[in-house]
Amino acid sequence: MKRRVIVALGLVVVLAVASTAATSAATKRTAANSITVWLQTDAQSGWADVVAAANQQFQAANPGTSVNVQYQSWGDHLQKFDATLAGGGGPDVIEMGNTEMTKYMAAGAFAPLDKTQFDNSSNWLPGLAASGKYGGKTYGVPYYAGSRVVTYRKDLFKQAGITKLPATTAQYVADAKKLLAKNKQKGFSPVYLAGTDWYVAMGFVFDYGGSIATQVSHKWTGMLDSPKSIAGLTAWKNFFLAASRASKTTDETHPNPYDVYAQGQAASMVGPSWFIGSVGKKYTASTGQFVMPGHVKGQTMPGFLGGSDLAVPVTSSNKALAADWIKDFTDTQSEKALQAKGNIPNATSLLSNSVNERAAARSWFVPTAKHWVDVENGNILRNMLAQILTGKLSVKQAAQSASDNIASVLNQP
Amino acid sequence: MHGTSTPAPAAETTFHRSRRRRRFWARSARSAVPYGLIVPVVVVIALILGYPLYWLAKLSTQRYGLFELIQHHGSSVGFANYRSILHDSVFWHTLLRTVVFTAVNVTATMVLGLLIALLLVRVSTPVRLVLSSGLVLVWSMPVVVAVQVFYWMTNFQNGVVNYLLTQLHVGNFEQHDWYASTFSQLSLVTVLIVWGALPFVAITLFAGLAQVPRDLVEAAEVDGARPWGVFRDITVPILRPILLILTSLSIIWDFGVFTQPYLLIGQSKIHTGNYLMSVYLFEEGYFKADFGRGAAISILMLLIVAALSVVYVRRMVRIGVAQ
Repeated sequence: MKRRVIVALGLVVVLAVASTAATSAATKRTAANSITVWLQTDAQSGWADVVAAANQQFQAANPGTSVNVQYQSWGDHLQKFDATLAGGGGPDVIEMGNTEMTKYMAAGAFAPLDKTQFDNSSNWLPGLAASGKYGGKTYGVPYYAGSRVVTYRKDLFKQAGITKLPATTAQYVADAKKLLAKNKQKGFSPVYLAGTDWYVAMGFVFDYGGSIATQVSHKWTGMLDSPKSIAGLTAWKNFFLAASRASKTTDETHPNPYDVYAQGQAASMVGPSWFIGSVGKKYTASTGQFVMPGHVKGQTMPGFLGGSDLAVPVTSSNKALAADWIKDFTDTQSEKALQAKGNIPNATSLLSNSVNERAAARSWFVPTAKHWVDVENGNILRNMLAQILTGKLSVKQAAQSASDNIASVLNQP
Repeated sequence: MHGTSTPAPAAETTFHRSRRRRRFWARSARSAVPYGLIVPVVVVIALILGYPLYWLAKLSTQRYGLFELIQHHGSSVGFANYRSILHDSVFWHTLLRTVVFTAVNVTATMVLGLLIALLLVRVSTPVRLVLSSGLVLVWSMPVVVAVQVFYWMTNFQNGVVNYLLTQLHVGNFEQHDWYASTFSQLSLVTVLIVWGALPFVAITLFAGLAQVPRDLVEAAEVDGARPWGVFRDITVPILRPILLILTSLSIIWDFGVFTQPYLLIGQSKIHTGNYLMSVYLFEEGYFKADFGRGAAISILMLLIVAALSVVYVRRMVRIGVAQ
């Protein structure tokens, strides 16, 4: 009996090995006349037609080459990508989040690209273009960006007697108090803001002239404990305590702010501009957006410029074709189509005047360090924010310890 | 005269010797049979366990990050990965936290499991049926589902736990954040793990209790033994082998537990201050794509679990021998 099980197990192992071998052989055979593209599901649900148009254009120029688009999710696409780097069978084009790029560029995961091949490359959004550059070479082509804005309930603002949208953070706090006086239900937030939403919190730091870390001759120094950063963190703490009833330790997806909003538990929320499409039927008509004000009148709060780049992995055997596809997918026509879907196009020359584009005018980005992604995954910033809000540590103590942590992670070999 | 008689004993000796030799070979062959029988198993185990383990050990002596992954070969660094881990204060804090966490979890599981098993013996058949079906239901609940249910129950805004505690006037638990401190986070994880581990322990111990001879207990009671005395001097010694196995298994499971803490606390709340060993391994090895260091942590974890189990097993065996 046991023997039979053993034989069966042995067979399973052999079959598994054989089938893996077969798959990789098959991938190699078909490689010559097809390219594989990994895009995020955002494209699948938001702008599949733009992808299809780019594919058509590409195939017209390269007859006989098919495009195999595979949709990935943000949560696990890097783990999958790592596996293909080790075992083969990976994509020819991959969409990368702009904060994910540096680590992979530094490890030599991508092939360098000729920038001049792509439309509008001299006017690429500076923040996004920087995320695709490493050691003077271009590895990532800006795909699209998104900024963070305030989504708010016009009816509640009116009810509370707010006639003009806030022009400074202080005015916004004053408005929050008015909103709170009119809406006394438990857990109601005038401005729903998750406790450890570092994208918003760092906006305050940059608004006060602070920063996260800075590099001087190859050595990173944490900057969160600088007086300006501490002023920003303190302003953020006061803003949170006055305006948000969210958990002080939760992130911006547990729960989703737009779900809280859709339940009528928030008068406004700070987040990506596409939040406006997720507020629920009941409040769609009464919802508007404005740019988050900064602490100085006339200046907006610097927003985190999220975005995506497209890159060609070194493991690709069709690098030229892959670059051609990227060219088609990021040309002026495709970018205008992406803009029509509510995204920020990849070049300043294409910008118009929508609320998310105005917000992008003043933006900040994470340090372009090889190990930045480890700071993010290690939740150093989130932990600092939770410590500040729960009062476990003072702003100064928490900032000091986070700053030291960040420096030691970024300075790893 | 003597000369003539010598051949006989000589022949006899040769005869004896050859018979002895034959017996020796037969005995050797016979004793070799079991080894022969386990050869296939040993070979398969060596292949499916030993080979990866060999690679794990090899990987742990290499620098193997994203760069090396793309190049398909690491560079040997000797014991640098081990040195860096053993000099990492996060490792020692995590180890201490995990040992305490394991001790609390295993103790709670064993004590509560034994109490439930004793209860199962005492109650009437219908109640026992209801109780054991309940236990089996708990057992059959997938871990991920259980985590999600616990997460909802302890939700900050709409959790039923906060609602009930407030309604029962235990205190004002409105918008109470169960995930605000490491202690609170790990306590929730403990509740979840003990809850999930109880059925196996309780049902196994209940089966063990069936082995306690009724007449032995009665005899002791006739001799004037109190319930506690019966429990200490009859029940526990008979249950000892089962207790030993369950405790060892629980130590191994709870020391290396990953799913419950990682999912319940949530990735965005995991930081160096609330790591358990497996979470530390996952964060250092996979998230940071430092596979060599990850492999070294795995090897260290393996050694620690082995050491913990050996100490415990030896102590239990010694107690057994002494009695």
